[in-house]
Amino acid sequence: MRETRLWSLHLLAIPIILVLLGMHFAIMHYAPVFYGMSVEEARSFEVMIERGRSVAQLVLYILLLAAGLYHGLYGVRGIIRELPLTPVLSKAVDIGILLFGLFIFALGTYVTWWTFRY
Amino acid sequence: MNANAPKSFPNRLGLKGWAYAGRYGLERYLYLGHRLSGLGLIAYMVLHIIETANRIRGEQAWAGLMALFASPPFKVVEYLLFAAAVFHALNGLRLMITELGFFLGKPKEPVYPYSTSVMRHRPLTYIIMVLAGLIILLGGSSLFFK
Repeated sequence: MRETRLWSLHLLAIPIILVLLGMHFAIMHYAPVFYGMSVEEARSFEVMIERGRSVAQLVLYILLLAAGLYHGLYGVRGIIRELPLTPVLSKAVDIGILLFGLFIFALGTYVTWWTFRY
Repeated sequence: MNANAPKSFPNRLGLKGWAYAGRYGLERYLYLGHRLSGLGLIAYMVLHIIETANRIRGEQAWAGLMALFASPPFKVVEYLLFAAAVFHALNGLRLMITELGFFLGKPKEPVYPYSTSVMRHRPLTYIIMVLAGLIILLGGSSLFFK
């Protein structure tokens, strides 16, 4: 049941990533097409800070962080756990990936919050 | 021994088992591509989070980093990431269609030569991969040419 729940979350993360990553690509990589500004301008410090001050950006980026990291690290976990590991090693992989994911999520959240409060 | 206990099928091939397609053909190589692109994307995501944290060091540090990313080698890396993301997303869509059993057609009598679900999905696989190829080409055109 636990594995089914984890797998369902992995699938649930997909539409969130598709929408939010699409927005991220549009803003950061295809600014000339969607926003009529150069990529350099879209990535400048002032414009990046200006965008980061919006509540929508704060919430959506934290959501993208959570969904992207969960989806990706769950996939990595699946690949590693296909190897012939002992139960202890499998548990260590789970805990290691969880701690790593939480650390990167905390870092990303802190930077997003820092930008919001700048 | 409990007869109802789940059977265990150890991965005897180890790492080789990830890359060897055997008789499975195209779909198995797409599965390998899905894994490789997924690993590349998660590695990039982690690096991207660490690298964008550089903004905390101030405007100068950020500008220096952005200038580095505007250089041709990073443009190529950026394009490869875009290609990996498109392939991973569209192949993921194909996998979900396959797992949910869409586009299999009506059930038929199992008459020789048998038609497998893999072969019934094969036209869809071709369509999705051609679509991925087109998006990757179009994406490259707007990334490299202004």
